[in-house]
Order: sequence, then structure tokens, then C-alpha cells
Amino acid sequence: MNRKLPPMTRKTFLIGTLALLASGLSLPAMAEAIPATIDKPVTITFYNYNLASAGIGAEATRKLIAEFMAANPKITVEGVPYSSADSSRIQADLAAGRPVDLVQTVFSDLDFAVTNFGAQALEEIIPADEMAAHFKGMFPNGLKLGVLNGKTYGLAYTFSTPVLFYNADLFRAADLDPDKPPKTWQAVKEAGLTVMKKTGKQGFAAGITGPGAYDWLLQGVVRSNGGEVISRDRTRLKFAEPEAVEAIAMLKDLHESGVYQNADIASALDGMASGNIGMYLQTSAIQGALIAGATNKYELRSSTMPSFGDKPVRPNNSGSALTIHAADPLKQRAAWELMKFLTSAHGYTVITSEIGYLPLRPAIVADPNYLGGWIKAHPLVQPNLDQLAVLEPWDPMPGPNYRQIVKTMMDAVEMVIFGNADPAAALADAEAHAQDLMP
Amino acid sequence: MTTDVVRAERVLTKPQVHTRPQPAAKPRPRARTRSRLDGAAGHLVMVLLSIVCLFPVYWMVVTSLRPANATFETSIWPTSTSLDNYVYALQAIPILRMLGNTLLIASVVTVIQLFTGLLAAYAFARWRFRGDKLVYSLVALTWLVPFQVVMIPNYLLIAKMGLLDSVTALILPHFASALAILLLAQSMRSFPREVIEAARMDGARSWRILWEVMMPNLRGTIASLAILIFISTWNEYFWPLLLSRTPANSVVQIGIQMFMTTEGTAWGPLMAASTMASLPILFIYVVLQRQVIQSFMKSGIR
Repeated sequence: MNRKLPPMTRKTFLIGTLALLASGLSLPAMAEAIPATIDKPVTITFYNYNLASAGIGAEATRKLIAEFMAANPKITVEGVPYSSADSSRIQADLAAGRPVDLVQTVFSDLDFAVTNFGAQALEEIIPADEMAAHFKGMFPNGLKLGVLNGKTYGLAYTFSTPVLFYNADLFRAADLDPDKPPKTWQAVKEAGLTVMKKTGKQGFAAGITGPGAYDWLLQGVVRSNGGEVISRDRTRLKFAEPEAVEAIAMLKDLHESGVYQNADIASALDGMASGNIGMYLQTSAIQGALIAGATNKYELRSSTMPSFGDKPVRPNNSGSALTIHAADPLKQRAAWELMKFLTSAHGYTVITSEIGYLPLRPAIVADPNYLGGWIKAHPLVQPNLDQLAVLEPWDPMPGPNYRQIVKTMMDAVEMVIFGNADPAAALADAEAHAQDLMP
Repeated sequence: MTTDVVRAERVLTKPQVHTRPQPAAKPRPRARTRSRLDGAAGHLVMVLLSIVCLFPVYWMVVTSLRPANATFETSIWPTSTSLDNYVYALQAIPILRMLGNTLLIASVVTVIQLFTGLLAAYAFARWRFRGDKLVYSLVALTWLVPFQVVMIPNYLLIAKMGLLDSVTALILPHFASALAILLLAQSMRSFPREVIEAARMDGARSWRILWEVMMPNLRGTIASLAILIFISTWNEYFWPLLLSRTPANSVVQIGIQMFMTTEGTAWGPLMAASTMASLPILFIYVVLQRQVIQSFMKSGIR
């Protein structure tokens, strides 16, 4: 055991070093390229949170998967429902060594999906010309939604913008012109007070805070006042900076004036659907639920997100992106084909008309073969479409504590708006705590 | 106390009632009125509490019968009724299959947990062995560990066994229950030793003593425990949420949750599904009302 090893000669050292360098340099070249076509049967998993529900989202998803498999007989897609609330199934399946190939990832989970769930940058697995061909005709700022650290990890799938729904009948009853919905927060306050005074109904509600609200709507409100909740390089939280504090203090004022109802997301949605609230700021994804409540009861209309005076509205998206997690080139090809199908003109037509989200392809909006006829019959979606041109990304918080960071921020925001906390002090305190959770 | 003494006491006490002076009987009508008022107040409280308890159930049924645009109406009696929500719920999810799965899982888990609980409890109650107190304490400690903590390791094990998305996998982690062992062990410890010794003298060994002597006498405890296990398994949510991939292999609690979507909550179908899901449990309450109340009183409200 004590045998002396032969001393390393200069020649051995040089050969070894060269070999190591050669192997290191050739690593990228060794990564297997994605095949151009699917030549043999392949099965991929598609983790989809819409499939975990029984609503229109699940029906449209099942329909799209079935259409894709019919058009691509060599690809079998196994739809796996999962709860986007905690992604525990994805974590458990990855720990169990089960294949996770394509995922419908909530935008706020994108950083975690890249660093922990192995989401692949499209630039690294898909030929550039193929990507360019598929991206042609998409809103350029829509493509930026899934970009993280300069690479495209996700392609916007079921996404939306904040829409101000309003009850036109309540507006009429309050002597407000339903053809001129409030465009600024000041106008929202005035209209809300008038609705309350003349109809006795609640003025305004929003899905900004409360369980399950995430931070997407807050980000848009803060951004519209010239602030942001996190720096562009995503290293520093900024939700206690003056612009953000001012935006949140405006919401507090709205609440204290009696206009902004302190209700969680479900209650606010139910209140609006039942015709008891004048205005409601929320994702367009819930318009189906609102229409169901409003049918034969009152006239439901929609408008764009309110602005801070003359400052431009800077809404960001809600919803999800498609991310490829497969490491096997054949599965990557199959996942890419499914991703292309779901984000095609036909895919977005189904997603928009049957679920209530947005198309990333403007050309299909007026095309009678796609959404042309449907949009004419459903004018509620128009403000949502108008905001596509100014859409900005929903910034995901970084690191493994990203959910705790969001929760710390949102708890403070809620405390400020509906409680007695001083906006600047409470937000600064929360920001300091949340900053400690940053990677 | 002998029979003669009891008889003597009765003889002594009886005349006292009859020879009570008349003035003492004067407050009787007032007392009777007060007693009646007390009774009426008690009943009023109970009626109010019953309304508080029953109203959500009533509202669930009424909401399930309202059409979509009347879901949020606040009238006590629905202005229009429709079975559309039931039709939709039955079409959107395989609710009958899910109810069948839930019933099967709850029944099998109840039987298995009672069986393993009886065996373990007998061992703890009747035998002294090295480390018995330690093992008993460890079993008690597992009761304090939430299922969510062991959920992922259980999932990995089930995945290795190739049982993901199966009804079997929903039963497997529930083979033993600390509650069942502790509750039964306590009951068995208070079981009269003389009876067991008599059985032993008659030649019965542990197996026969357990099944033929102890079990029939513990029927009340076992029934209470069975109800608790059944209801707790019926309401199981997290494990099926993680494990089940297809509605057909899942349970009704997951089915109900499926109507809460990112596109809003479909209250009508949700209430229809909830009404259908609560029927078996309501049936158990109606049929075994006394046992259910006793089970909660015996084990504390879990």
C-alpha cells in the first residue's frame, strides 16, 4: 500500500494538461444537437396548472394537446396537472428522477425554474434560424417577458394585462358617463366616490393584495408611477423608494376615502360579478367569471389600467410562460414543436377565445380566420389588446427565498393600504428584511 | 351497601317529601315558570346554534341550485332554480368515480388502521418488553409530525414502487395511525385484568383474548375511532393533491378544488360537487349521530 507512485514527468504533465484543455474546449461541441425532425416515437410530459382545474383553461388545454398529437403522431404528450401555488409536484418528480419536459411556468417562478428546475435557454438548444422564424410576427415586448439574464427561457403562453372592469349600469345610475371610464387614479377616486354616494354600492376593488395575489399587479402600479420593486439587475429591492411609496400611499388614500374596498381576491371578484362594485382592476383572465355574473343583470365594460396623472401607464403581464426542461435532444425537439404549436396563430386563437388570455401575435387580432370575428363579438378584450404595445415584464424575484421576498413585500403593502402603518417606514422596514433574503 | 340498608334509606326519605309544610310549596309555580323559562332559553340557544350550523349547509345546497347569473343573489329562497350546476359538475370531473375512490380509500384505511391499531395497542397494553415505553413515546411523537413533512419522502418511495397516480398509493402511507394506537392502548389498559386472567385460565391465548374478549367489550371505542378515521381520511387533501395525476384516480376533495381556477371560482358547480361530496358524511352523521358525538368527546376535537 505504501508503494511509491512514479514521479510525474514534464512530458506526462504537458500531455495531461493538453488533454484536459482539449476535453474542456470540446465540451460545448459534445453537447448533442437537437434533431431536425422527430423520426421515432417519443413521449414528453407537459406540466400544466390549467389541467389541475375543471374550467375552461383545462378544456382548452386538453383540446390543444389532442390537436397537436393528431398533427404529430410520433409525439405523445402526457399532460401532468400541478398546483402553481407551490410547484411541489415538479419538485417531487425531479427528486424522484421523473421526466419534466415542458412546463407552464408562472412568470414569478421563472428565476426558480431556471436555477432549480433546469429550465433551458432557448438560444442554447434551438437553432437560431428556427427561433427567428417562429418569433416572426410576435410583439417584440411580448418576447421579452420570458427573458432572464439576457436569454429566452420562457415564451409567453397564457398571459394578460391589468384591466379596469366597470359596471356601466352603476355608472349611469351615478350620472357618470359609461363611455368615458376613468383613465387616471384621481378619476378613479372621483368616480368611486360618486358611485358610492349616488348608488350606495362600493366604488372600487382590485386584485392587488391578498392571498394568491402575487405581486404582478403591484409591480404595474409602482412602475406606472416611475418606480420599480426591484432593480434592473435584480440585485436590490426598491419597493421602499419614493416613487413606490407614493404609489402605495395613493392606494392607501383610495382606501381611506372609502372608495377602495378591503377585500381579498375572491371576495372582490364575487362583489364585481354580483354587480355590487363600480370598478375592479384585475387580470382579463377572470372576464369569463365576470360575464357569467353580469349576464342579464348589468352591463359589464372594461378599460385600460389607470395612470398617475400624465405619467404613462406601464402595465406588466400576469400569467405563465412555456419553459423547456428536457435534457434529451429528441424530447427537446418534441417540446419545442409543442411550444411552437401552442404559441402559433391557432394556439393563441384558442387561448384568447376559449380561456380569456392574450395573443402574442398582433396579426391574428383582425384576421377573420383567427380572432377577427371573435374580437368584434367580445369588445371587453380590446383594452387588454391596447396595452400589449406598452407591456413590460413581471419581474421574478431571485433566489430560493423568492416567495418569502414577495410575501414580505406584499404583507407590508397590505399593512400600509388597509392598516395604520406609515407607508415610508413600513415599506423601508419590509425592504430591509426582504433584502436579507436576496441571494 | 346491603339491600336492607337501601330499603331503610328509602323508608326514611319518603315521608319527608309527603310531610313537607304547605308554605314551602308556595314558590312552586314561580319555580316551575322559571324552570320553563330556563328550558325555553336553553332551547332558543340550541335553535339559534342549530341555525348557525345548518345555514352554511342550506346555503351550499341553495347556491348549487341557482343559475350562473344568480349565484350571488342573497335571497334566502332562490328566485329561480336549475340543475345545470350538477350537470356541469358531473361532466367536468368524474365526480362519481372520485366519490367511489374516496369511499373505498376511507373504508380500507379505516379497517387497516383499526387492525394495526388493535394489534399494536394490545402489545403496549398487555406486554412489558425492553424499550416498550420508548417505542410508545415514539409512536406518540409521530402524531405530532405533520403529514406534509413526510410527504415528499413518501412520494419518492411510491415513485420507486411505480405506484404514482394509483388508488393503492393513496392508501399505503395510512396503514398505521398513532391516534388509533394511543386511543386503543388507553382503553385496553383500563380493561379489567380479572377478565383477562379468567380468559387465560380458560386456556385462551393473546390472539383469542384480543378478538374474543377485549374487542367485543371495546366496541364503543372502536366505533368512535372508526368514525374519526373515516372522516379524517375522507377529508384528506394534501397527499392526493401531490400524488394523483388524473381525476379518475383521485378523490372528491381534489375534485371540489378543481372548480377554483386562476380564471375565477365556479361557485355553482363547486357547491353542487360539495353537496354531492358531503352526502355520505351527512348520512354517517344522521345514522351514527350519538357515536360521532361520543367519538369527538372521547378523543378531543382533532
